[in-house]
Amino acid sequence: MTSAMLASLRASGRRLLNEVESKAVLAEAGIPVTPTRLARSRDEALELARSLGFPAALKVVAEAITHKSDIGGVRLNLPDEESVGAAFDEIQAAARRAHPDAPIDGVSVQPMAQPGVEVMIGLARDPQFGPVLMFGLGGVLVEVLQDVAVRLAPLESRDAEAMIREIQGFPVLQGYRGTPPVDLSALQSILLALSGFALEHPEVSELDLNPVIATAAGATAVDARIVLS
Amino acid sequence: MSDATPPDLRRRLDRVLQPRTIAVVGDKGARDYLWLKSMKPFRGTLYSVQLDEREIPGIEALGVPNYTSLAAIPEPIDYVVCAAPREVTPRIVQDCIDANAGGVALFTSGFTELGDETGIELEAELVKMAHGAGLPLIGPNCMGLHIPALGVRFSPEQPTAEGGDVGFISQSGTHGLNFSLVGAVHGIYCSKMISFGNGAVLEAADYLDYLADDPATTVIAMYIEGVRDGERFARTLRAVAARKPVVIWKGGQTEVGQRATQSHTASLTTSQRVWSALVKQAGAISADNLDELIDVVKTLRMTKPPPGRRVALVAMTGGQSVVIADAFVKAGLEVPLLSDASYAEFSEFVSVIGGSYKNPLDLFNTMLYDPGAIERVLAILDRDPVIDSIVFELSAYLLVRRWEKQPAQFEALLDTLQRFNAHSAKPLVTIIYPAHVEAKVLELRAQLQARGVATFPTFERAAAALAKITEYHVTHT
Repeated sequence: MTSAMLASLRASGRRLLNEVESKAVLAEAGIPVTPTRLARSRDEALELARSLGFPAALKVVAEAITHKSDIGGVRLNLPDEESVGAAFDEIQAAARRAHPDAPIDGVSVQPMAQPGVEVMIGLARDPQFGPVLMFGLGGVLVEVLQDVAVRLAPLESRDAEAMIREIQGFPVLQGYRGTPPVDLSALQSILLALSGFALEHPEVSELDLNPVIATAAGATAVDARIVLS
Repeated sequence: MSDATPPDLRRRLDRVLQPRTIAVVGDKGARDYLWLKSMKPFRGTLYSVQLDEREIPGIEALGVPNYTSLAAIPEPIDYVVCAAPREVTPRIVQDCIDANAGGVALFTSGFTELGDETGIELEAELVKMAHGAGLPLIGPNCMGLHIPALGVRFSPEQPTAEGGDVGFISQSGTHGLNFSLVGAVHGIYCSKMISFGNGAVLEAADYLDYLADDPATTVIAMYIEGVRDGERFARTLRAVAARKPVVIWKGGQTEVGQRATQSHTASLTTSQRVWSALVKQAGAISADNLDELIDVVKTLRMTKPPPGRRVALVAMTGGQSVVIADAFVKAGLEVPLLSDASYAEFSEFVSVIGGSYKNPLDLFNTMLYDPGAIERVLAILDRDPVIDSIVFELSAYLLVRRWEKQPAQFEALLDTLQRFNAHSAKPLVTIIYPAHVEAKVLELRAQLQARGVATFPTFERAAAALAKITEYHVTHT
């Protein structure tokens, strides 16, 4: 049960759920995420990569580190055990260099998603109007370009459709330079599922799915962050 | 749970919003009897309540009977305006309750908007009293009601008129006043205007809900800065906008404090974006200023509903035909080629020398030498299935010249536009531009308006208004 998982995390006094916990909650809520597990040691990382599949992606998991890639805490497209082992060591070292005093929970291990268009889907609470859903193209430029669409929950499917089409970057989703158009209905489903999740879980105050990788065949969140109130 | 106005509140609002008796408490010479003079055309009976003996002779000189208390007035009062100092407002509200008044608007200010301790306490006291007695309390810090058909006004400048059909809800008295004054110039009159200031007891959602059911109101317009119960407002707006067009002018950035955020989403969902999302999602129409609000309301009232986004643009000269197309395309409308049948018909009579009849149409020579051509042009566009709306540039220069030199032809042109507008199912929008002879252009605009034809001073304003109502109608059908 999503509620039970959130309740126990909250009871432990946690406000910020890490990637692995956030994805577990989201998966229960029916939102597609890449299967992601926490490795506390090099051996665990190798074991997980073997079972989840190559190429793998490894990311640092530490409450103090918000912008993981900025500090060298993300390694992608790792083709084999050797590269996974090396990446684990490098991420640990980079995280200690950047935050010598911050506790590091470990490293998340997941299979690489199929290449596609990166979008961002999120949830926030407006002090006047309550739960708000957001959609935009993902990646590092989202905050600079502010090219996002916003709607209040509960969303109807036409709202979800309208917000995807509203952003300036919409043509990127329709296919460009030979790439096929992405599966818009998969993105709509995530928005609608998140709208329901927002209403069921008032204790979730902020949520980022960033990025969600959208392809012609579907959409999957490859990183996630949940903030509890 | 439903947000619909409880029947009891509806009944009470019915009484206060269709008053037969009005009492003004505390009007005085220092403000030149603003309230009593404003209410002069009131169709019912107007009373004054004033204790101050220095004020009474001035009030009686206006021909308004004065009493020293609400209770002393020999008949029940439907609408009370309180213009007394804030300290005495609780007593006056109690008098309203005791005298079973229909409702009260508190012109008095100095409450939560001032923010001092006394103001906050007084407002809380008024709220408690009004809620306890179920008294519709408008304000405080507001101008109350303007009902042109009944001669209820809050400024002596405001119009009186029968048949107003725009319900206006305003958090600001000034914007309410301006809407009634500028609106009248555009033939727009209110069914009921409510300036509600602090909205301490009844707020925007209550009035919105009431006007949704008001048979005299066909369009609802509002100026709003913020709401107290956001989720209720959102639900109400959705429900009401599904039934009647609602045009919202939102003032203020309303960033509710600096929120500490830990996610990209929270930092990107600014309150400005949330408001605009709310308006879009509810199917309401946004306006950014008074002119736009009036343009949109005017277009909603005067034109037929556009079934789609395709417009035919008729200009009198080549240069104008280019920039009119720019304006309408930028606003999000489509300017398609006409159908072959239309082109075949045009080829029979339109001069292509110094003109063009693709779309936009440039009809200078044709219309200059053959005034009857306008009727043919309109008829062709009316029949053309690829066209949803028709936009007509009336060159101020040519129009004024014709008006002065060939008044009969000018009248014929106006008649043609009026006839077309009345009979065609397609919206007609006209623009008289530029206004180098502004006084004359104003007169022309008034003439077109009197004939029921929507006219605008610039291409951009016409385009924005048509685009907004097109979006509204396309998404509400």
